[in-house]
Amino acid sequence: MTRILLKNKLDDCIAAWRSAGFSVLAPVRRSDLSRFDEVERSADMALDLVLTERTIKDHFFPQTEPLVKYRIKKHDIDSQEMLPPDRKRVFFGVRPCDASGLAIDDPLFGWDYRDEYWFKRRDNAVIVTIACTASDDFCMCTSVNLAPDSTKGSDVILRPLQNGNGWLVEALSDRGNALLEPIASILQEGSESPAPSASVPVRFDVEKVMEWLADPASFESHFWKDISVRCIGCGSCTFLCPTCHCFDIQDEGDTYTGIRRKNWDSCSFPMFTMHTSGHNPRNTQSTRWRQRIMHKFNYYRGKFGVNSCSGCGRCTRQCPVDMGITETLQAITNLPK
Amino acid sequence: MGIQEQYISEAAGLLSSGAVKLVIGYSEGSTTDRRRPVFVRTPAEAERLMLDGACVANLSTYLLSEGLLSDGKSVAVFLKPDGIRSINILAAEAQLNPEQLVIFGFDIQNGQARPLQGRKISDFTPIVEAARAAGLSPELQGEAERLEHISAAERFEYWKEQFSKCIKCYACRQVCPMCYCRRCIVDVNQPQWVNTSSHTLGNFEWNIVRAFHLAGRCVACGGCDRSCPVNIPLRLINHRMAKEVLDAFDYYAGESTDQKPVLATFRPDDPETFIL
Repeated sequence: MTRILLKNKLDDCIAAWRSAGFSVLAPVRRSDLSRFDEVERSADMALDLVLTERTIKDHFFPQTEPLVKYRIKKHDIDSQEMLPPDRKRVFFGVRPCDASGLAIDDPLFGWDYRDEYWFKRRDNAVIVTIACTASDDFCMCTSVNLAPDSTKGSDVILRPLQNGNGWLVEALSDRGNALLEPIASILQEGSESPAPSASVPVRFDVEKVMEWLADPASFESHFWKDISVRCIGCGSCTFLCPTCHCFDIQDEGDTYTGIRRKNWDSCSFPMFTMHTSGHNPRNTQSTRWRQRIMHKFNYYRGKFGVNSCSGCGRCTRQCPVDMGITETLQAITNLPK
Repeated sequence: MGIQEQYISEAAGLLSSGAVKLVIGYSEGSTTDRRRPVFVRTPAEAERLMLDGACVANLSTYLLSEGLLSDGKSVAVFLKPDGIRSINILAAEAQLNPEQLVIFGFDIQNGQARPLQGRKISDFTPIVEAARAAGLSPELQGEAERLEHISAAERFEYWKEQFSKCIKCYACRQVCPMCYCRRCIVDVNQPQWVNTSSHTLGNFEWNIVRAFHLAGRCVACGGCDRSCPVNIPLRLINHRMAKEVLDAFDYYAGESTDQKPVLATFRPDDPETFIL
């Protein structure tokens, strides 16, 4: 016997969590864009999407966020940290790739110092993931050793029932268990079987890719120029990525008062590596694309023991010129030995 | 012989005779309904070229890739009427020499690619005239008119909502053949002229700067709109600017290679007293 959440109990469930002090965020389609946003009722949710266009990363590492308010005085500086508020949030209906993305980024934000802006949000969030029963042509989780029902980064996993009426509920962490308490009376006991997971083909050989990238000779390979020739150098793939985490620090204000902000930045942009001298060590798009792939499948794993890709496929799905990680890694897989 | 076979064979011929060093066209994409830009350098590679109703990207963007045309050699490129207008503007703005281009012109009608006669930019004058006669983006008329007729406050709310989605990935800029500045104003950072933050103010700044720089230059290829990963209806802004320029100055962007840029020209007999 396992616990089941029925779809027709979803409104009770949201109400119970809200009364317990949680904000509930779920996939929604608003202003012609699918993303995670706060919901008050199940009718607001767009749970039938394979994947939202935006990732949940946005709610932990926003595109722009204030860090410090400052005022420069004659012999002193006043500064005030602007940490995010303590707010308990449930993310309901997350896909396994997006949940994995958070777990992939945790070591990065906690490595040389603890980024409170990230962890304050992480520690107050409960991730309720729904395993995928559908996928599209761009999904590639199985190629990066994840799966449509991966539990990485999730606190609760819901497995859709075969009959489509609800989900099998499994708590995966203390936070997940605690989240099920307010809805204990809403859940039912049942023995229904789960629907089969989405079938996502393996699109490249990640082991071979990692081996090739780790070979110093690959760095100067002509491959990079050939594969990236049509890249237009926008930041779409990096900004839609559930694991890309690069940022820039900017001060906004006048000479004496202002706000220091943390803004997303992208290795696709020439400005990303431009030196004050005017020298740019990555002065072509091919060197920038190489950096993106190397970072994800070579450097990141060297430092944190995991690849910085959870296989969501957004980089290709939304690329203006139909490029992306899949094509590049397929091409590396197919390189002659 | 269909248009695809005809153009492949001609492209292969141009490459083998050395008449062009490169063909910029379309090839198979990652799904059956996608076509992606392809750069063909040998006759054998020409077999990868495809041409059908899914070939929508305006490939003129790639012509200003750094160094591509600076050796004086010729390049062939697949272009729809919007792309042909882009070439006219880029030539008028002294960004390229259209004599270096062999144009495989095509149009999409009822989902099918149809050939356009001619290979030189001057051959397509009647095509551009026909485009002007057909009116500005008829497919946008409904939504454009709805926005015209709501109150200024409602319109502001609409754009605030849309721009709030912007993440400043600059896909709209990078895909646009008219955005060829080697260093965009938003990247000028000593000092930082435009906020890099993608908050409401920063997003308005960027989107308005972009729209103004495209007034009288946008050819409505829709590349920005299609590329926007957060679905901002950028074509509606461009359309409004094109309409303004057409109504005020009887100016249709990209008519010829010597058409004077509308915002960089004046006439001594201009009725506005502030000009002279």
